[in-house]
Amino acid sequence: MMRINPIVYGFLVLFVFFGTILAFQGAGIWSVSGKVTAGGDAIQPVAADVNTIKGWMTLEQISTTYNVPLAELLAHFQLPADTASTTAIKDLESDTFDTTALRDWLVSRTQPVLEKQITTPVETMIVPTQTPILVTTPVPTEHVVPANTVTGKTTFQELLNWGVSEKAIVTVIGSDLPAPSTIIRDFVTQKGLDFPTIKTALQTEVDKQK
Amino acid sequence: MEEKQIGQSNSNKKIRPQGIKSWLNHRVLRRLIQTGSAVFILFLVVQNYILGEGSGANTVSPEAFCPFGGLETLYKWINSGGALISHTHLSNLVLLAAVLITALLFRSAFCGWICPLGFIQDLIASLRKGLQRRWPAFRRWMASVRKFAAPLAILDRYLRLVKYLVLAWSVIGAAVYGYMVFRDFDPWSALINIATWTFTPGLVVLAVTLIASFFVERPWCRYACPLGAASGLVGKLSPVYLKREESACTSCKICTRACPMGLPVHTATTIKSLDCNSCLECVDQCPVNGALEVKIGLTLFGK
Repeated sequence: MMRINPIVYGFLVLFVFFGTILAFQGAGIWSVSGKVTAGGDAIQPVAADVNTIKGWMTLEQISTTYNVPLAELLAHFQLPADTASTTAIKDLESDTFDTTALRDWLVSRTQPVLEKQITTPVETMIVPTQTPILVTTPVPTEHVVPANTVTGKTTFQELLNWGVSEKAIVTVIGSDLPAPSTIIRDFVTQKGLDFPTIKTALQTEVDKQK
Repeated sequence: MEEKQIGQSNSNKKIRPQGIKSWLNHRVLRRLIQTGSAVFILFLVVQNYILGEGSGANTVSPEAFCPFGGLETLYKWINSGGALISHTHLSNLVLLAAVLITALLFRSAFCGWICPLGFIQDLIASLRKGLQRRWPAFRRWMASVRKFAAPLAILDRYLRLVKYLVLAWSVIGAAVYGYMVFRDFDPWSALINIATWTFTPGLVVLAVTLIASFFVERPWCRYACPLGAASGLVGKLSPVYLKREESACTSCKICTRACPMGLPVHTATTIKSLDCNSCLECVDQCPVNGALEVKIGLTLFGK
């Protein structure tokens, strides 16, 4: 049985605890942000699922992913018209605007108004006037981004698939083409460029192919 | 017998260093580590409050540094191939790994040496001890409170089991419901989010913990901390333990009185309790050389 000096014990505890953390960090297994997956991929809002919207996401991400003009979003929630598109949702929270309200609005916004309604006759027994009442139940639908549209989750591979030449992409982004599987928005943000500008330019290139 | 004990204690009595050397001990090291840990979290809380996560500045939520968040999200992380439940990050899992590896080697040393919530409880206990030393009237009042509450001591051993229930509830709840069911009741979460002025049951638990810390040392750690419960269970496999040498011990009970977790150190031969947080206060306070020491060995049993 070996005896350990209490001071040595303390240093050993420090060494093991922080050594473990440093070892994980060295292996690339470390993130203090909820904005990336365990694999290091950026977490993005998904057009088909509003529950993927997080408070830290920016208005620009929402606008791009759900194809909502920023001005319309700001106007609907009575937010200042000059609100920067890079503002996080949670930084704008108020009595009328938060993540849940935004999700609900996006869902309601994508629902068709008339053509996809189900009409359900209600039993006339409960209606004194004997007049059939129609109860309308809107069918929930997923938001569908038009084909060949550059969004916040479009990859360079998709651009190539849509017929945009590598040269055209390189011209727009102003640097070499990264790995085709890279999400354009991630690449542009990483390079410190303005995504809406690049997106518009790339969309122009895509439209030329139509 | 009395003469033998006195004789032993005199011959083996620890010589306390004087001057600057008196600062070179494990208690100072432990306090420095605890202070550093608490200041780091305080910095994150203040920075996060002032700058905000969405400001574009490089701020980090203090919740990213809670090891227990790792335990709560572990099931989902494994089951979903890497997804994490809300309010958790990869760092929570790494810190959990660090706590458990530390426990595997050095028992619940994270609780005794690093945990900021444990440190806060230690500070309150130190304040109470300081007041007792300075003001005899306060000392007498505390003695009467202890006497009044003495019958409640019988509950101690049962209340210590509550933390395992909290552990099971929080981990199973997070696995079943997909969110942190414990978060609203977590005093640590309430403390680091206190600047948001959001009322949660955790604030009540925090207030009760802080008030109780004045009368009972480390009440949260003793009775309710799920991370301490997990750490203690893993620490049972640790080769490190405390050894009380009966032939050297004078049964002065100083070690038992020094133990913040209220363990009966003076009656044990090996201390491997699930509740021991390895703070080594008992070793430091023991007045006799060789009576109480930290050992490495493969002893799985002991109090």
